Amino acid sequence: MTPPVAAPTGGPDLHRPSRPRDAGAGEGSPARPAPVRHLYVHLPFCRARCGYCAFVVETGALHRRDAYLEALGAELGHEEHRLGVLDTVYLGGGTPTLMRPRRIARLLDGVAHRCAPDAEITIEANPETVDGRQLADLRAAGVTRLSLGAQSFQPALLRALDRGATPEQVRAAVRCARRAGFASLSMDLLFGVPGQTRAQLEADIAELEALGVDHVSWYELEIKPDTALARMGAEVPDEDWSADAYERVVAALEQAGYRWYETANFARPGHECRHSLAYWGAADYLGVGVGAVSTVGGRRWRNAPGVAQYVAALAAGDPPARGVEELDPDTRRRERWMLGLRLAEGLDMAWAGPADRPEALERLIAGGLARRDGDHLTLSRRGRMLQNAILGEVMEYA
Amino acid sequence: MDQSLIRNFCIIAHIDHGKSTLADRILQLTGAVSEREMRDQILDSMELERERGITIKAQAVRVAYTARDGRTYQLNLIDTPGHVDFSYEVSRSLAACEGALLVVDASQGIEAQTLANTYLAIESDLEIIPVLNKIDLPQADPELHGRAVADLIGEDPDGVLRISAKTGMGIPEVLEAIVARVPPPRGEPAAPARALIFDSVYDQYRGVVAFVRVVDGRLTAGDKLVAMQSGLAITADQIGVMSPAMVPVGALEAGETGYIVTGLKSVGDLRVGDTLTPATRRAAEALPGYREVKPMVFCGLFPVDSDDYPDLRDALEKLSLNDASLVWEPETSQALGFGFRCGFLGLLHMDIVRERLEREYDLELLATTPNVEYLVTDTAGREVVVRSPAELPPPNNVEAVHEPYVRCTVLVPNDHIGAVMELCQERRGKFVTMEPIEQRQQIVYDLPLAEIVMDFYDQLKSRTRGYASLDYELAGYRESPLVKLDVLLAGDPVDALSMIVHKDLAYPRGKALVERLQKTIPRQMFEVPIQAAVGGRVVARETVKARRKDVLAKCYGGDISRKRKLLERQKEGKKRMKQVGRIEVPQEAFLSVLTIGNGNGDGKGR
Repeated sequence: MTPPVAAPTGGPDLHRPSRPRDAGAGEGSPARPAPVRHLYVHLPFCRARCGYCAFVVETGALHRRDAYLEALGAELGHEEHRLGVLDTVYLGGGTPTLMRPRRIARLLDGVAHRCAPDAEITIEANPETVDGRQLADLRAAGVTRLSLGAQSFQPALLRALDRGATPEQVRAAVRCARRAGFASLSMDLLFGVPGQTRAQLEADIAELEALGVDHVSWYELEIKPDTALARMGAEVPDEDWSADAYERVVAALEQAGYRWYETANFARPGHECRHSLAYWGAADYLGVGVGAVSTVGGRRWRNAPGVAQYVAALAAGDPPARGVEELDPDTRRRERWMLGLRLAEGLDMAWAGPADRPEALERLIAGGLARRDGDHLTLSRRGRMLQNAILGEVMEYA
Repeated sequence: MDQSLIRNFCIIAHIDHGKSTLADRILQLTGAVSEREMRDQILDSMELERERGITIKAQAVRVAYTARDGRTYQLNLIDTPGHVDFSYEVSRSLAACEGALLVVDASQGIEAQTLANTYLAIESDLEIIPVLNKIDLPQADPELHGRAVADLIGEDPDGVLRISAKTGMGIPEVLEAIVARVPPPRGEPAAPARALIFDSVYDQYRGVVAFVRVVDGRLTAGDKLVAMQSGLAITADQIGVMSPAMVPVGALEAGETGYIVTGLKSVGDLRVGDTLTPATRRAAEALPGYREVKPMVFCGLFPVDSDDYPDLRDALEKLSLNDASLVWEPETSQALGFGFRCGFLGLLHMDIVRERLEREYDLELLATTPNVEYLVTDTAGREVVVRSPAELPPPNNVEAVHEPYVRCTVLVPNDHIGAVMELCQERRGKFVTMEPIEQRQQIVYDLPLAEIVMDFYDQLKSRTRGYASLDYELAGYRESPLVKLDVLLAGDPVDALSMIVHKDLAYPRGKALVERLQKTIPRQMFEVPIQAAVGGRVVARETVKARRKDVLAKCYGGDISRKRKLLERQKEGKKRMKQVGRIEVPQEAFLSVLTIGNGNGDGKGR
């Protein structure tokens, strides 16, 4: 019953968004990198840290929101010279909606003059933090896309994840968002939550289908070190359980009209996340705010966490504390493979650069895990489930 | 030195019965080692020996002891190894002594190896001084075990000394007994010199150092010497004694033990058991030597990284300088590439060599399943020596296969007799005798050595809750219906996993082996069938399922470096795997065979 695999060159019904990406393998090291067209803004405030969360977040720091907004503006001022016409802006967190619509509006006002007329401007939202009025205000502030962090509709699983929203709040948020005029709605869900049953997974699938959002990110839960779940000794399900769950999610969403366009992302035609596609296309991006990462012209830097320190540094006219990583051409080539193979449309090897072990690639192609058409490489459905192992075979990671 | 003031003795003891502690106390009490220098187990100098609490090389230490009769004696303590793998070294030590301390743990009693070594000492006409150690322990039973020890050597139980080497209690009495009971050497001081080489070590600065017992005459530094059996001529660059550090002396006299620096480059050049005599005044007859030591267990050693092959060869060469019983020759495996087939005295010897190669030479090694040496008669009537399954001719060309047997002595408390006999039967054992020793039984079986080489010892210990002790000696070759069991991964035979088995055991062993491999080999990108086959006929099959999912759940701008590092770590994990064709096989898989003797496939890891 599942539709055939979308081939790279595509059937007539295959939607192919224009895919932003870096200049590719042939690129030298230009003295001045091309203008950056993708902006990420990190808004770290949360009411509480969720059990699975390992992001840079701050709890109990709501009184610093105005100062933080000030500091973001200052960092943007420092980095402005890197920016071109912005194709996408992504406001992530944390819980960005805790900034309240008026601060979001101020933030977006500051970059509005740089944005392309059809720019994609996304904000992440926790369903319990927004109501119809606020959603309308966000829309009015220029936000075009809303990403709702639902994670599950099962009360028991939401408790296990420390999520604050009830299933009803999630449904209400979707209704309000539509009413507020959001034409592109995304939802985040998780599978592989410790204790999750097959029946609970089916229930989540049914709920999601009923809501009719435009884009779905359905991740397998990772138990990261230093999270509450890891400290509790929680374990991820075994490979067969999670493979079954993963395959089921893919089949159900494809059946419901979503395309499995990236490892964990599904979209109705035209609703692929352009900002994420920039990442997977190894394009340059600028990230501002605590913990934010930027990659520009072969150099990657990460701002240090800590709102207070960030605010203080920028108030003093300095850039925030940063860790810098220089990316040599081989590292960039391997990253292009790592990112590009996540996409259904696959990888243009003329752009990405050659495999480290072409003979291993031939073996995988012969084994039905990948297909090649000229320089274009796509993974089969099975191959997409084994992307890590495939990368380990064909690429020589450090 | 007046021979009447010399006493040469060794200590016979089971592992952990306190030999090294007793030796330490003797060195301390006689002032050979100051308190400051004292460290436990001073005689076990090699790092591994100290760590494992075992002695591998025999050494001789000289101490001076002023006895209660007011005279000062020269005591030469010749150390003996305690493990069955090195029992040949024991006979060397015995030949250099007139007496032996038989040390038995007062709570554990006699163990099988102590028994075997005691018989050796009796045969060599040594005066045996029985000692019960650890009598300070609450569970000590000196009455019971004292009687058993006295019975063993045919002595009065009252003559058994009771000591605690740990606390130092009874040590002076031990020294007095050595002086009073061990006979002095009776060599001919005026005769042409004869010195028995009882051990040798290679020292990177001095070359080969021979440990000798001078029987007749006198050896002087600078003497030109001849090894009587090999005819090799050497110069005694330096002569000295261990006390316990090397101390040069001008000469060694009849009855004394010491060392000779030869300047030779390999211990293999100077045979242990040979007799040294002056080139200018040769003795008429050599001293009785030792039987030549032959390796009993063989395995392939391959570098995990094939670039390390030359380093492995260098390391084996260096180890051989000091270990004449280690033999090796190049071997090529289709699965594992270039390596060496190595011969060892036993499993412990194999473990020690492997550990030293990895630790001291920083090599990552892959060891194949150990096997014994088979004698194969082919249909043309030729005799072929087979040291690896790959060398076994095809079944049609084999007339007969002979395999080495050992006579196995197990000492065990009465309530575990059944378990021991059951294990011996499972391992193709033939019952020989059983007789009681105090509250225990001495059970004797003849067993194929190949069965011992598997996890026999581990099984014996676990089935008797640690109470059984084991000793064995080679007991000739016997004909057996043996076949080669091949293992195929994804249809391709993997030579390094083949084994030689009794044909009646081909099915259970094959089944256990593929089950074990199925658990050891991780899921791969493709399904991997594992088959065990005899002569092309599959006797067992399992399947390693294909991987179904291996993805990084999400990857956005903030994660890229972290995800890339995950892939780098994934590669680190792969380094511990050996690529066999398309299949990644973990190193431990090649030793799986060792733990399947039980037939149930889930024996504990080694």
